[in-house]
Amino acid sequence: MSVRTHTATFAITLLAGSLLATPLMAQDKPAIDFYGVKSVSGAFASYGKYAEMGSQLAVEEMQETLGREINYTTLDTEGNAGRAIRKVQEAINQEDARLFNGATLSSTALAIGKEVNKAGGVFMTPAGADELTGSECNASTFRWSVPTYGAIRETLVPLIEKLPDAKRWYTITPEYVFGEALLQNAKKVFEEYGLEHVGNSYHSLQEQEFSGYLTNAMSTSPDVLVLLNFGAQSSNALRQARNFGLNEQMDIVMVWSAGLDQLQELGADNVEGIYFGAQYWHEVDTPMNRHLVEKVKAAYDITPNYPLAADYIMTRTMLEAVDATGASEGPELIAALEGLTYQGPTGEETIRAADHQVIKDYYLLLGKGQAEMDDADDFADIISSGHSFVEEDKSVCQL
Amino acid sequence: MLNVYLFQVLNGLGLGMIYFLISVGLTLIFGLLNFVNFAHGAFFLLGSYLCYTLVTLTGNFWLALIAGPLVIAMLAWALERSLIQRIYHLPHTFQILVTLGIALIIQELSIMIWGPVGKSVPTPELLQGVVRFGNFAYPIYRLFLIAFSAGVAILLWLLLERTRFGALVRAGSESTEMVSLLGSNIFRLFSITFALGVGLAGLAGVLSAPLRGAHPFIGPEVLGLAFVVVVIGGMGSFSGALVAGLLVGVVQSLMTTLWPQGASLMIYAAMAVVILLRPYGLFGRA
Amino acid sequence: MDTKTAAVASSAKRNGAAPLARPGRARWAPGTTLAMFGVVILLPVVLPSATLATEILIFAMAALACNLLLGYTGLLSFGQAIFFGAGAYCSALGMLHWQLGLFSALLLALSVGAVLALLVGLLCIRRKGIYFVMLTLALTQMAYFLAYTLSDWTGGDNGLLGVPRPPIALGGTTFVSLASPLAFYGLVAVLFAVIYIMARRITSSPFGSTLLAIRENEARAAALGYDIRLFKIMVFVLSGAITALAGALYAMLLNFAPLSNIELLMSEQILIMTIIGGTGSLFGSLLGAGSIVLLGDILSAIWPRWMLLLGVALIAVVIFMRGGLWGGLTSLLQRARRAASHDKEA
Repeated sequence: MSVRTHTATFAITLLAGSLLATPLMAQDKPAIDFYGVKSVSGAFASYGKYAEMGSQLAVEEMQETLGREINYTTLDTEGNAGRAIRKVQEAINQEDARLFNGATLSSTALAIGKEVNKAGGVFMTPAGADELTGSECNASTFRWSVPTYGAIRETLVPLIEKLPDAKRWYTITPEYVFGEALLQNAKKVFEEYGLEHVGNSYHSLQEQEFSGYLTNAMSTSPDVLVLLNFGAQSSNALRQARNFGLNEQMDIVMVWSAGLDQLQELGADNVEGIYFGAQYWHEVDTPMNRHLVEKVKAAYDITPNYPLAADYIMTRTMLEAVDATGASEGPELIAALEGLTYQGPTGEETIRAADHQVIKDYYLLLGKGQAEMDDADDFADIISSGHSFVEEDKSVCQL
Repeated sequence: MLNVYLFQVLNGLGLGMIYFLISVGLTLIFGLLNFVNFAHGAFFLLGSYLCYTLVTLTGNFWLALIAGPLVIAMLAWALERSLIQRIYHLPHTFQILVTLGIALIIQELSIMIWGPVGKSVPTPELLQGVVRFGNFAYPIYRLFLIAFSAGVAILLWLLLERTRFGALVRAGSESTEMVSLLGSNIFRLFSITFALGVGLAGLAGVLSAPLRGAHPFIGPEVLGLAFVVVVIGGMGSFSGALVAGLLVGVVQSLMTTLWPQGASLMIYAAMAVVILLRPYGLFGRA
Repeated sequence: MDTKTAAVASSAKRNGAAPLARPGRARWAPGTTLAMFGVVILLPVVLPSATLATEILIFAMAALACNLLLGYTGLLSFGQAIFFGAGAYCSALGMLHWQLGLFSALLLALSVGAVLALLVGLLCIRRKGIYFVMLTLALTQMAYFLAYTLSDWTGGDNGLLGVPRPPIALGGTTFVSLASPLAFYGLVAVLFAVIYIMARRITSSPFGSTLLAIRENEARAAALGYDIRLFKIMVFVLSGAITALAGALYAMLLNFAPLSNIELLMSEQILIMTIIGGTGSLFGSLLGAGSIVLLGDILSAIWPRWMLLLGVALIAVVIFMRGGLWGGLTSLLQRARRAASHDKEA
């Protein structure tokens, strides 16, 4: 596998290309050019670092399994949407790049999806925006992560069943499209189960001080506090909620947690007794996940987290599909991916043809205390898992 | 519902004391050295990370509370001697550029040392728990922060008003020659003042760690907030930082009930209005 | 108790945002214009892609506009992102909703940038030094909030997607499609050259010398009877319009207008490019934008923490190389020339 930078090794690629073109190699299958869009430097490096590990691992493995040369190139977003799109365009125009995976930020993912679609390539992303397989969907864009609808249902519904006495629910929501989508879905669940939504606090995207919002929440004496923010904001909201002793007054659920890396950041003291929704958890017992945990342990000596697992399985799935169809771009590969069922880390995963959404499980975790942890990363137990998706015919996506 | 507002005001006052602590070092350095420190938020960040490391290693928050700010003050001292001293005489523009550079370096170094994912610091055992008022609760740690910040405010006031050091620094800020005539080394005074101001940023970082953890990209946000407080209070004004800190805290806390989305808009709008109508702030002098 | 705000040095000298470096001397001017043409022509040939070259020129344009404020008038503004972002949003919305053509969209950006800069300038120039800086900072934060709140128009955090890149057309006849990266680079290059030459003319005109006089000593310029406010506002409008044009071109390049266009970080980025390139030198802006975009491109994949170098560079520029890259380059050239004439004499 060759991991190369964009400009510096341009010449090397040309050289390698000419070597491959010798008659001896011609019988072999051609090399696959694969591009990972990762936020390696700049803000969001916490995500990009692990996503990059996931893709590299998959490329290394597939190179061996498929017996093909795979040229993997990292496109660093530098934490900047504009820079990311420019690098993707460049790869498309200069190197005929067609296969892309990655992007952390929703804005970046949406814009890359448009560019790749124009070029007739394929792009698979773990980003959070529902628009990716909703209003802004297109033939080239595939999305691994469960949309807000499923994330809400797979956390709140099992929680409602687990806490039959919890009638009053309070939400804290970041004021933008993604937060609003979570909130609307949550409201529908409350209505469906006849629960009282006693209040909601919106906050801005820069907010890190939550004492005011927690005070609002306290004033309504809810049974459950639902955190609909994510990343550093949800970490701070949770830390401060514990600080205010809210965990003793009510149950707290963080619907869109980042998974293991966030629980590591919070530490067992903060995690204990809190419910977390997660796209992935390393203790899931499936063949692919056992394989992944073992591989990651051997390669990096860590436990896989969500960004690592997501970019691993997307890279792997795309490379396998390319190898199976012999096509490396366009309609043929898209057709091969549509409706594909494969073994993913969350079990059997299916790519829905109608909107290119991967149908997979979402998890509800319950954090446990230091004393009950079997190992350093055993922060939580899975208490429920399953999948809920908006039905195909109700999806706003028109492919 | 009236209760909420009352409690928001109380919470805002508590928040305000933290904001005072975040900004007082910035205003000290500006007031006494006429130096603009855009790396203030980065030193805060470093304080939070040092707190994390010290608590993880020793399990003792109190040690971190003393050692963290001291280490940062020493770092600031060295930095002042080697770099900052050369740019006191330069216009603010240059000072902004150099300290912006320092902030970038600290941020990237922090990621190299502590990784891109944030860290958490537990509340010291002695200060865990809450005080309850009916429906509402207030963390003991935050009460401690309020008391501690008030203590810091009093100590600083005494230091500046009642000691030879304070008198010299105040004299030095008006006339370098006078202090030199008094036989004191003016440059040493400046070094100490710079180290004190930056050490206070570190102290705020250490104290905030149990509330917010440590995160590599928190610097700019803290810097922005500190500037809002310092500008509203009057750049260089000590009492201004206290009053403005409380004011911003209360306004922000009330806004979370009234118009949460607009909280950050409001504080920056307030800052702009103050600069336009009363450029030297509520307490500053022309 | 109030500790007095007092300066160590004379406060008049210190509080004014004095220049970083003196502009390149006049005798360099024809040389640098030629060099600019050389760079603009060679960029797409030397670099791996025309897309990368386009990004460099767009940021060079923004840095040049920032330089008019900082290098020629001594105004350190964190407000450039307001104009960059507004230019991107307005041209994009114009094309998406009113089907504006290429030039009308760019004109719209120019005028929106000019009007916004007029308003921002009118407010900000009422204050000097650090208060001016803080005011521009507050306004940028407010503009960001506005863009983020008006998500029906701006797309909020998701950004404005599907921004078109219309062809060069007149009266319904398409002359040149700009779909290919090289064609679009051509357009940006021509616009950049025009703006560069215009800025060069302005800065070497009496208007430019007045700006320099304001930068060097505002009180004296006022005593000489110049209406300083008027001059400052004119520079603001000029700078805002050019920055908005750069923003519009950026949206067309990316087919996308992200919220990050209007963030404080964007202002910071433009400032860093201007300063590292060399304040007071228009060619320096091109150098600054080019080196920072390229540095990011090459280093980011090798060393994720490369931004640390930007911090080091900022400090180095102030301490050792006030003129930035351009200053370093000219002093090297001068030294070489001196050495050469030395050799001749010997």
